[in-house]
Amino acid sequence: MITITELEKYYRTEEVQTIALNKLSFSVQEGEFVAVMGPSGCGKSTLLNILGLLDDPDGGSFVFNDIEVSGFNERKRANLRKHNIGFVFQSFNLIDELTVFENVELPLIYTGVKTAERKERVHEVLEKMQIMHRRKHFPQQLSGGQQQRVAVARAVVNKPKLILADEPTGNLDSSNGNEVMDLLTELNEAGTTIIMVTHSEHDAKYSHRIIRMLDGEKVTENVLAEFKSPIPPAPDTSAGSAQAGEAFTQADKAH
Amino acid sequence: MLKNYFKIAFRNLWRHRLFSFLNILGLTIGMTACFLAFTYVRFETSYDDFQTKGDRIYRVVADIKTPTEVINGSGPSWAVAPHITEFPEVEEAVRVMSDAILFKKDNLKFNESEVLWADPAFFTTFDFPLVKGNPKTALAEPLSIVLSETLAKKYFADEDPMGKTILLFGDQQPATVTGIMNNVPENSQIQGNVVISMTTITKKFNAGLDDQWGNYSPYTYVLLKTDSDAAALEKKLPGFLKKWNGKEMDQLQMYPTLFLEPMKDVYLKSTRGGFVNGNIKNVYIFSIIGLFIILIASINFINLTTARSSDRAKEVGIRKVIGARKKQLVLQFIGESIILCMIAFILALGLIALLNNSFNELAGKVVSTGIFNNLQYVFYLLLVALGIGLLAGIYPAFIMSSFKPVTVLNGRFATGRSGNLLRKSLVVSQFAISTALVIGTIVVYTQMSYMRNQDLGFNKDQVLVIDAHGDSGAKALKQNLRGLANVNQVSLSGSVPGAGNPSAYSEIENIKGELQKANLDLYFVDFDYIPLYKMKVVAGRAFSRDFMTDTTQAMVLNEAAVKMFGYTSPEQAIGKQFKQWGREGKIVGVIKDFHFRSLQQQIKPLSMRIEQGNMDYLSVSLKTSNLQASLPTIEKAYQNAIPNQPYSYYFLDEFFNRQYKSEEKFGTLFLNFSLLAIFISCLGLLGLASYSTMQRTKEIGIRKVLGASVSNILNLLSRDFLKLVVISFFVAVPVAAYFMHKWLSDFAYRITISWWIFALAMFIALTVAFFTIAFQALKAATSNPTKSLRTE
Repeated sequence: MITITELEKYYRTEEVQTIALNKLSFSVQEGEFVAVMGPSGCGKSTLLNILGLLDDPDGGSFVFNDIEVSGFNERKRANLRKHNIGFVFQSFNLIDELTVFENVELPLIYTGVKTAERKERVHEVLEKMQIMHRRKHFPQQLSGGQQQRVAVARAVVNKPKLILADEPTGNLDSSNGNEVMDLLTELNEAGTTIIMVTHSEHDAKYSHRIIRMLDGEKVTENVLAEFKSPIPPAPDTSAGSAQAGEAFTQADKAH
Repeated sequence: MLKNYFKIAFRNLWRHRLFSFLNILGLTIGMTACFLAFTYVRFETSYDDFQTKGDRIYRVVADIKTPTEVINGSGPSWAVAPHITEFPEVEEAVRVMSDAILFKKDNLKFNESEVLWADPAFFTTFDFPLVKGNPKTALAEPLSIVLSETLAKKYFADEDPMGKTILLFGDQQPATVTGIMNNVPENSQIQGNVVISMTTITKKFNAGLDDQWGNYSPYTYVLLKTDSDAAALEKKLPGFLKKWNGKEMDQLQMYPTLFLEPMKDVYLKSTRGGFVNGNIKNVYIFSIIGLFIILIASINFINLTTARSSDRAKEVGIRKVIGARKKQLVLQFIGESIILCMIAFILALGLIALLNNSFNELAGKVVSTGIFNNLQYVFYLLLVALGIGLLAGIYPAFIMSSFKPVTVLNGRFATGRSGNLLRKSLVVSQFAISTALVIGTIVVYTQMSYMRNQDLGFNKDQVLVIDAHGDSGAKALKQNLRGLANVNQVSLSGSVPGAGNPSAYSEIENIKGELQKANLDLYFVDFDYIPLYKMKVVAGRAFSRDFMTDTTQAMVLNEAAVKMFGYTSPEQAIGKQFKQWGREGKIVGVIKDFHFRSLQQQIKPLSMRIEQGNMDYLSVSLKTSNLQASLPTIEKAYQNAIPNQPYSYYFLDEFFNRQYKSEEKFGTLFLNFSLLAIFISCLGLLGLASYSTMQRTKEIGIRKVLGASVSNILNLLSRDFLKLVVISFFVAVPVAAYFMHKWLSDFAYRITISWWIFALAMFIALTVAFFTIAFQALKAATSNPTKSLRTE
């Protein structure tokens, strides 16, 4: 689904040029769940921005669904983005002036979905995220976990093929964090490709594969679970993984 | 999608109530002021639009060249109208003159002040529709009278006035009502509520006037035939005058030149006077002020919106990530600005409706009968409001919609320096405009007070002027008044300062010993006039009862007249010969120049003589300062002596200053608009100050922790803004100085614009700006730093 080859990105200030991505190459198959890890400043976020078509690379190639997109203009990128990619952020990034329902509805508006269908689809996804009862609330009235669930709902309402998650649990406590990770896992199991940037080894363990970066380069790659394209087998979910999650958190604390 | 925009717009308005309030308030006031100014301008430029033949009507005016000067007159001689129809281009010629006449019908007796005398073609040339009567014949016969609907009601109530009689001049002349006309529209240069046939004068009272070429007076209008060339006709007029009047012109050495003024230019552009006069300068000034004020309000909008744009950056980022295109965001933000403008527009319409009467009062006439009586105009204003929304919204919309989601969502976002610079320059232009208006206001008011307090060269205090309407009882009244306890002196005269006076063809012996011909202003006075008004005799003597010949053969000149005839000192003129209006004699005295007209005009050469007739005014100098107390006894004396005329009086000082009424109105309007400009500018400043204070909360906290005092912080926060006000002052000064200098040039006697006016304006601007900022700054400076640091 995604293949990047020798991808480069520089940041220039008046005197210094910083390399954010240094000839980075890897590919992601459809239906895969990939975690990208690395210390601050290693280029994770830059990578995610480029993969999300929010930013342009300075060199190299980026093939999305067999199309070379690295030279796309803003309009083309926006078009591709709104139909194919959903975003989940660390800081949720909900629009404060809109209710839960309206926030989730927004992507559908921009893709031109009719009112009746919008309502149906928003309700469907809110039910799935178990925040239907909060649909008339404003973001400030929700807990962090609830806000992130709204954000995930918004990311998936358009049924994107790819979800890009930037530290999705970074602003959450562990139990809320685990809920969000479970949600992402479910989505992945239903066929959505997920690329997640994270600092948390715990979160990374939900993925099939971890790409570790340093100074804009890929240093290692660990395969955690065997991934069979296109649709992975459905392992047992929920209870088991939640317990595992807790165990990991405690282990982290012990360290 | 639209619904979503509306929702977000309204929720945003509500969440940021202070900003919304400042924005809407500024825009509302701006629109109100701007629309009122436009309404005024629109009204002023609408004069005589209702005249369907207006494009073919010209006013004939005359310049008269005498050996000493060129008089720019308004009316040509009486004979012009009856003779000018000999040109094939001329369809009609109409003389129109205004007057005040005592009307009497049964027990009703009123001094009608808006009377017109007009030639028979009046109603066929001008569009003053008749409700009753035949427009072609209504004014044909002498003593025919056409009443306005209002006057018809006043004198005849529900009766049909047609064919009935009204007595003119008390009870001397019975006039027959031959027509009823619609009331004359407010925006007509010819104003009157009753028209009397001119033939009354030219056939009955003063037959032969139609052939008098040396007698100037009535306004004369000509209606040209379709496709006639006015310029070509104008070129033929010197020959026309020469043919009819050449001999007399050489003999009197008075050479008139006739010009044709397009009727539609008369009200605003003519400098030769008229029934009512506007001023094209005022129209320009108010158009500019209207635009400035709406500009200031729009700048507020732009500043407040872009200053707050970082707050909206996150929303922009999210929307872009989700799939919004730039165009959609631009539309959203422009939509929001239009919504704001529409709210302001509705409020402004309400305010305008409320202010309608006060605005008419301020303008001194019915400029608007109510905003909602003209929906087409409201529609135009709506378009203007939409335009403002679009123009004011477009810049912030493009700024905000071009935020990069990557930057704003990563929190690395900071408002750019360029936006800051733009805001600063906009603030500078706002305050430059406001400061310029303040300077203008101070200049106007200083000039007004200068004119009111200037030594006029005569005593105007405690002088009561009574209009005797030229009644024969005036002399008896003078005697009676002299006997009253509170009365110092009484004088009977043809003119008083500020009331206008005739001018006379005169021949005066000049320095070379020749009789020099001139058109001299003329005051008919009596022996008591000069002492009553405490006019200073600089050479010779005032009129005196000790000299028998003074009643017919003596003249007093003012210094300006003496100068005109070439004398270097007043003494030289004493004993010199004069001829004027059939009288001959010697100059007996010279008085110091006094302002017998407004200070807008130079003091002109003036002659004074004693004459028996034409004495309209009784000047009464009173002893006490308690003037009101003497009024009842004076009125009683009047009623005894002049029972047939209505009693009217005024105090001379007030009367003289009434000449500055239009300047005063102008000043008041100017003041109001300047206050509004300052107020709106300060609203914007308040918004920016509170915003920048909010943004610098953390900085302020750190500075306080490091030991900054309240005054340090106050200084820090206000310095930047006050700097802008100072810069704007230097922008405003040359502009204001230039324009106010031009404005002052209309006044023959004027102030010089001195440095203190600018200093005062700067002081006002700085003070107002400082207090606007200080409130916000003080709040931030006195807050607990631990609190402000926690916001991080």
